[in-house]
Amino acid sequence: MKILGRILIILAAFALVMGIAYTVVSAANAASSAIGVPAFERGEDGVRPQIPNHERPEFPGGEGHGLRGGVSGLRLILGTVKNIGIIAIIVALVLWLKDFMRKRKRDLQQVSE
Amino acid sequence: MTETQTNINMKNRTKIKLVLDTIIFIAFLIAMEPRSSGIAIHEWLATSLIAVLVVHLLLSWDWITRITRRFIGKINNQSRFNYILNWSLFIDGTVIMLSGFMISESLMPALGIQFPRNFAWRGIHELSTNLFILLLGLHTALHWSWVVETFKRYVFQPVFRLFATSEKKDIAA
Repeated sequence: MKILGRILIILAAFALVMGIAYTVVSAANAASSAIGVPAFERGEDGVRPQIPNHERPEFPGGEGHGLRGGVSGLRLILGTVKNIGIIAIIVALVLWLKDFMRKRKRDLQQVSE
Repeated sequence: MTETQTNINMKNRTKIKLVLDTIIFIAFLIAMEPRSSGIAIHEWLATSLIAVLVVHLLLSWDWITRITRRFIGKINNQSRFNYILNWSLFIDGTVIMLSGFMISESLMPALGIQFPRNFAWRGIHELSTNLFILLLGLHTALHWSWVVETFKRYVFQPVFRLFATSEKKDIAA
């Protein structure tokens, strides 16, 4: 019963944050429509941009559907290595910073003694 | 509850946390590459992560309630920073989920739900995902000593012991 209550609290927090985010994005959209930003620039579908020679517009993350097995496998590995690399750099930086602060604090204490 | 029982509970909880966090990390890395894994895997995997994240939060419930009660009072700066960072991760993760649902091409249509297309959600999805990697890096950094210690105790040492005993058996034979 206790766990069920906690799950409900977590889900309620999820719903609350989702509701706030949805309201903020909708309000921003409505505000940009009120000041006269064209529908396509607001990101709404239905109004298409004028693209010369009927070229297919590129959207971030939209390309690459249906890659061949080998290529997508390699891409998955490279992408994963990239993400792990970013996290590793952040971890190394934070640990170095913490170590530096600790040493500095210790040195300052020694000087004051 | 005796002290031994409490220790066993703590050990089990740590093991569950380790397994769960490893699953979350690997699933997150796969979900981060929708162009390689495919949209369907990306969406279903990311959505199923909600359940695992709820369990992750339940396992840290005592810490969450303790810091929430004492946040304004006297707690050390690292706990306060950690608390704010965890809330940022929660909010950012929820925004990723919401924007993901809004631009869903596989999950939502399969459930018979269709949202009006709005590419603004795509931008928000990408931005919040990039921010999530940075926050996850900070989260990992702040728990690095726990990660190292737990992996040493429950992964490396048992594997090392396993090899050591099989070596001893070989010598005895």
